[in-house]
Amino acid sequence: MSGIPALFDRVVVTPRAQPSVSLRAGVPLLSLLAALAVGAVILVATGADPFEAYRTMFDASLNGSAAIERTLTYATPLILTGLAAAVAFRMRTYNIGAEGQLFMGAIAGSWLALALPEDLPAPLMLTAMLLGGALAGVLWAGFAAVPKAFLGTDEIITTLMLNFVALAFMNYLIFGSMSFWRDPSRPVPQGKQIPDSAVLPAISGRLHLGFAIAVVLAVLIWLLLRSSTFGFRIRTIGDSHRAARYAGIGVPVATLAVMSISGALAGVAGAIEVSGVTNRLDPKALAIELGYTGIVIAAVARLHPLGVVPVAVLLAAITTAGGSMQSIGVQVEVVVLLQGLIFLSVTAGEFFVTNRIGLRPGVVAAEGSGL
Amino acid sequence: MDSPAHPVSLQVKDLRKSFYGVPAVDGVGFDVVGGEIHGLLGENGAGKSTLCSMLAGLYRPDSGSIVLDGDTVQLRSPDDAAARGIGMVYQHFRLVDSFTVAENIVLGDAAAFGRKARRGVEERVEQLAAEYGLEVHPSAPVWQLSVGERQRVEILKQLFRGARILILDEPTAVLAPHESDRLFEAVRLMVATGHAVVLVSHKMQEILGHTDRVTVLRAGRNAGEGVTNSLTTAGLATMMFGSTYTGASDDEPRALHTPGDDVLAVNGLQVTGDHGRTAVDSVSFSVRRGEIVGVAGVSGNGQRELHEAIAGLRSSTEGSVTIDGHDCSKLGPKQRHAAGLAYIPEDRLGTGLAPGLPIEHNMVLRSFSRRPHSRAGWLSSAAIAKTSARLVRDFDVRGARDGMPVSFMSGGNLQKAILARELTEHHEVLVAAAPTRGLDLAAAEAVRNHLHRERDSGRGVLLFSEDLAEVLDLSDVVLVMFKGRVVGSFARPDVDIEQIGLLMTGAATDEPTSAT
Repeated sequence: MSGIPALFDRVVVTPRAQPSVSLRAGVPLLSLLAALAVGAVILVATGADPFEAYRTMFDASLNGSAAIERTLTYATPLILTGLAAAVAFRMRTYNIGAEGQLFMGAIAGSWLALALPEDLPAPLMLTAMLLGGALAGVLWAGFAAVPKAFLGTDEIITTLMLNFVALAFMNYLIFGSMSFWRDPSRPVPQGKQIPDSAVLPAISGRLHLGFAIAVVLAVLIWLLLRSSTFGFRIRTIGDSHRAARYAGIGVPVATLAVMSISGALAGVAGAIEVSGVTNRLDPKALAIELGYTGIVIAAVARLHPLGVVPVAVLLAAITTAGGSMQSIGVQVEVVVLLQGLIFLSVTAGEFFVTNRIGLRPGVVAAEGSGL
Repeated sequence: MDSPAHPVSLQVKDLRKSFYGVPAVDGVGFDVVGGEIHGLLGENGAGKSTLCSMLAGLYRPDSGSIVLDGDTVQLRSPDDAAARGIGMVYQHFRLVDSFTVAENIVLGDAAAFGRKARRGVEERVEQLAAEYGLEVHPSAPVWQLSVGERQRVEILKQLFRGARILILDEPTAVLAPHESDRLFEAVRLMVATGHAVVLVSHKMQEILGHTDRVTVLRAGRNAGEGVTNSLTTAGLATMMFGSTYTGASDDEPRALHTPGDDVLAVNGLQVTGDHGRTAVDSVSFSVRRGEIVGVAGVSGNGQRELHEAIAGLRSSTEGSVTIDGHDCSKLGPKQRHAAGLAYIPEDRLGTGLAPGLPIEHNMVLRSFSRRPHSRAGWLSSAAIAKTSARLVRDFDVRGARDGMPVSFMSGGNLQKAILARELTEHHEVLVAAAPTRGLDLAAAEAVRNHLHRERDSGRGVLLFSEDLAEVLDLSDVVLVMFKGRVVGSFARPDVDIEQIGLLMTGAATDEPTSAT
């Protein structure tokens, strides 16, 4: 009887019914430390000083108000796309289309900013932009939601395809035509600058009000899922379609509603990026896979709306830190590897939160002892 | 074929296996030697599949022994069982569609890959196929094959790997009659070359027609055995379904009320099954207040489709369902519930309960959108917790903890939770599908008591169960379903168990029998 297979034979994995709070908070922290330790080995192997590298990382993303503002600003759209994915995935409706819905939200938001009278009071202007962005996201999601609800079309495919359509449309508006969005005064294709009344006010430095809006929305979505009858329906459908049908819950209506909420969140993210960061319809700055990253964030947050916020911030911190690491001579491949390592480790750590690992008493060993 | 000096022999002694404390196989023994076909007969849930899985190395027995050629063996894995010459042909094929027949046959055997090896394999497969009349093209991809051909591939796979004992689990369930005949010809040839075959089935005719000896299982135990030639259908039926039922419970006080008006009426119902075939074929019957109507039948004869159609989870193509005087034929599950239908689905975890959600959530699955559980679209967690605690207490549901997914609870407690929810809500008729399946004795008894109480309180009960003894014990009227039709109806006290057993297995004339 060889030792290793016998040992594996004895490993018992049992799901935990209720992971404790300390476990939920402690395991991700330990995972982060484990990733940094493994990362240090890699850094040494590639000839970098791990202490200097980690200090640079920390300085760039979390040390001082400027660094924190940069990180939180970058986290803002990620919180929203993370929520968009989380709310839909909760019902096991896989909206992969936050990317495209975000573009459509940005297009609608910038259109309203440019089309409405410039001297409109800022609160009115901003409300119109955000609602317009949300509506555009809802409509774009609707192209996938309606067939899904009534014909059972696979939303993974339709939402994914619609992303490419939305990207092409946005590129066309700036690079492919002299559209309403394009600034005619410049020879290089660029979006028209939006008026000051359409720019989100700052909370501190370059951090804009959008971050607060995203956090408030996370709390609202959390409450909606947890405490409303709508949330009850979503959770039931997400757990078992058959149980939902048994309870008389209408799955098509819920599908439309959830896809609308998801699309609205992604659309708002687009409008907020235009209003708070790019200040014009800027395809290059918007098409940085904010929508797809949201899916990863939702998954790591285990689809918990409040969990989305810290995970988005962590990811934003890793990303903002990445640039500065390159500036001290760490190769870009190593930076990406470190980023992946941290994320992988935190995600994999979830296994230990939801499962208990133990060893079966050594029955097998006793049996084999005669050999 | 290699011809061993002694014929292969397999003895199973007092094998036991429980799942979560519920015994599935509870002391079974039988033996088979090379050159014979041994039949394992039993109803669904009698423990046949669990027994086979232990012989195939998939499950480890809790106790008991498996003796192969005189040596007690521990089967650690399917690979281990295969290496010792035990080959299992499952009811659901385990083939890779996009691979060829030969590739499937050598799957898992790395040495057999590569072009040269493959040619050898194909030749050997062709040889075996010819030898046993299991014709199939070795280089054809599996997705092109018919169901019968796929089964031949499964059998060839086991023969190729040198199986000396072949276990066939319900092999004819998926076959057309002429394919079944071919299969049994092949089985005969295998036996003639010294193989031992274990034929697992719930069809009496098949066992009588094709085996040398039979072991009958009931509720995880041996319920009888014998040489096939000496057995009769009636004798087998008694072994399968039990002879303990003597009508003695007629002496117990029965319904307090004489049956009243119809509370559930099904008329000419026609329902299509999952595979597009007619699953329920012009079924008509009614359930009156103060009576339990039991539906007996081997599972898969349209019972599931029938109760799902009554509950509104499956649409019917023709006919009507009337609940407490309301025509509900076109209504959904929620409206039928409102009309007075309580429903205990067959699938406890998944339909009756949302498995990943906690008890509080599941207890208000029907009533969450009404007061006091919610107001203006917002849930009242206090009211929900109160209702949940009350139901848990009243129905003695154990093992529930706040926030814990109900899937961690035992089957008996899950069923009590469903009963608690369904019976506390307003209802006039209860449809219960396999309500005691997999429960331990105490939990099953608690469920039966609830059914009695429902009847005695003047409501109607429609009971579906694979356990014939239970149907006979509880019901005032017994309906027998076979191939989607109600083929018999017996009102107490004129219940003829032998006749019911024959009707269930399709052994009786197909003319509907009625003793009402």
